[in-house]
Amino acid sequence: MGNSFIFKTELWISKYTGIKVYTIRDFIEALKVIDKLSLFYHVYINMFKYHDLPVHYSNSFAYWLYKNNYILLAEKISAIDPVDYYDLEDLRRDLVHILETNYDEKIKRELTPFYFRKAERQILELGYQAKDLKEFIESFKNSSINSLFYHLITSKLEKKSLINDYSEWLISIGEAKKAEFINKLDIYSDNLYDIKKKILNILEDKK
Amino acid sequence: MIEKYIPYIGKEFIDELFLISRKLKGIKVLHVNSTKEGGGVAEILNRLVPLMNELGIETDWQIIKGDRTFFNFTKKLHNLLHMPGKEEINSDEIVYYLKITYENMNQIDTENYDVIFIHDPQPMGLVIKKQPGQKWIWRCHIDTSTPDPKAWHFLENFLNAYDACIFHMPEFAYEGITIPTYIIAPSIDPLHPKHIELSQEEIINTLTRFGINPEKPIILQVSRFDRLKDPFGVLKAYKLVKKKYDCQVVLVGAFAPDDPEGEQVYKELLNFATGDKDIFILNLPPNSHKEINAFQRGATVVVQKSLKEGFGLVVSEAMWKAKPVIGSNVGGIKRQIVHGITGYLVNSIEGTAVRIRYLLANPEIRKTMGFHAKERVRHRFLIIRHLRDYLLLINRLLKNND
Repeated sequence: MGNSFIFKTELWISKYTGIKVYTIRDFIEALKVIDKLSLFYHVYINMFKYHDLPVHYSNSFAYWLYKNNYILLAEKISAIDPVDYYDLEDLRRDLVHILETNYDEKIKRELTPFYFRKAERQILELGYQAKDLKEFIESFKNSSINSLFYHLITSKLEKKSLINDYSEWLISIGEAKKAEFINKLDIYSDNLYDIKKKILNILEDKK
Repeated sequence: MIEKYIPYIGKEFIDELFLISRKLKGIKVLHVNSTKEGGGVAEILNRLVPLMNELGIETDWQIIKGDRTFFNFTKKLHNLLHMPGKEEINSDEIVYYLKITYENMNQIDTENYDVIFIHDPQPMGLVIKKQPGQKWIWRCHIDTSTPDPKAWHFLENFLNAYDACIFHMPEFAYEGITIPTYIIAPSIDPLHPKHIELSQEEIINTLTRFGINPEKPIILQVSRFDRLKDPFGVLKAYKLVKKKYDCQVVLVGAFAPDDPEGEQVYKELLNFATGDKDIFILNLPPNSHKEINAFQRGATVVVQKSLKEGFGLVVSEAMWKAKPVIGSNVGGIKRQIVHGITGYLVNSIEGTAVRIRYLLANPEIRKTMGFHAKERVRHRFLIIRHLRDYLLLINRLLKNND
């Protein structure tokens, strides 16, 4: 990353994979083989799509299970915090494991179909960078929540790192305490507008 | 123009649009559909085309021509793609469709464009003009989840010649599609007269002009007079609610002069309403945008009790006005309403009535749900998101960076 922080943003469109399933067994089998960007869409993008609403389930796998009356499975799948992951294969493994170990094969019924989509991502540089904390704060204020989503959540998957971009850079300029506070924010349970305010408070020592 | 959207979505989202647009500098885009006015497609293109030009992407819009025979066929095709019916398409009609398509090929200039969006089935055959290097996208605005197989097969022959297609929901993408399929939800325009802010005075004046009491709770459904919108179900739900609440129900719609079924439904509704001064069945001219706006803003609870629905964007229209919407658990309605958060999804007349009663009894819940409803539309169903999706798709296809 060097000493400059380059602000980026992430946008995406939704592509239908053509895979639809009607049973839990088929759902599990599909989960094992679908494109990683399909996992990304249903877990991460969905989290973004609903971050500002007090929804019961913030990923579409859990919501589909809930709608089809698999309440236990829905709860367990929704308890997966995607922010804890830096490798989508680990996420895939955990999802499959939870379903395999909690699904009663004896219950056989046809469900409303689940349509697997995938995200086609576009990462863009916002055109501003920061060399020190003051510049960082000013640029951060102009960032959209799409940009926050990228730097806090999804760039970790690209770097296979458990630390978010902001914190990593803050450590590099000697602001380890701020970095730690930011890395501990509960992004999965909050909305990104509030997260932005909280980060700003941390950066400006108002915390 | 584009800066007028900043108050609704924030400057940073507009900045991002410009960022994507910069990647598309120098390309030329063409939209083709079958009408300049009337209907949702023309409404959205009227705004999207100038916005794309403002972003620096040279964009044109052309309309195909056709006679009554041609459009009778495409209307029939549209209906059959929506659901199987008694009629079916025949070879004479197909030949005529190809004849008119051939005539339009000579009229519509597609050669000078990099990306061509073809909207709905009417101009679909133009794809035979496709040139190497061009990207042709078919944008489907209708629900094709359960089409008549023969009608779909007719479509499929053209469809798979495109580079990509777009549906509102994955459910609408029927079988046999071999090209990349994208899901882009439709949108509403906050600057359209149907959605602009109105003063309380304007709202009250409109309601009173139609004899509606602004002081008494209003249950509203906006839809054309069509049995599939279940207007009788709404009235039956109202009757159940009326036992406990002194309220009014307003059904606002329109029927075309050449739609005998619509007129029949309207008459039956008037008959149903006889003797109850709190039932309002209003048949308004097609461009009554400000009136619809006022009704939606003046309503206490909005209902969309369709038995079958395409996307049902009217739900988002009401949600944008911070109204909780009680909608049937069908089609695109279930994609817009988040059950228990922005409104309720219902499956019966009784279920509709019980949710209406709950919302009438709880003004604070109405307010909270209305707030979340508006936020949902702000993030998912406004025109800027729609435009951004198109730009991302164009970039994806031209750069071929899958």
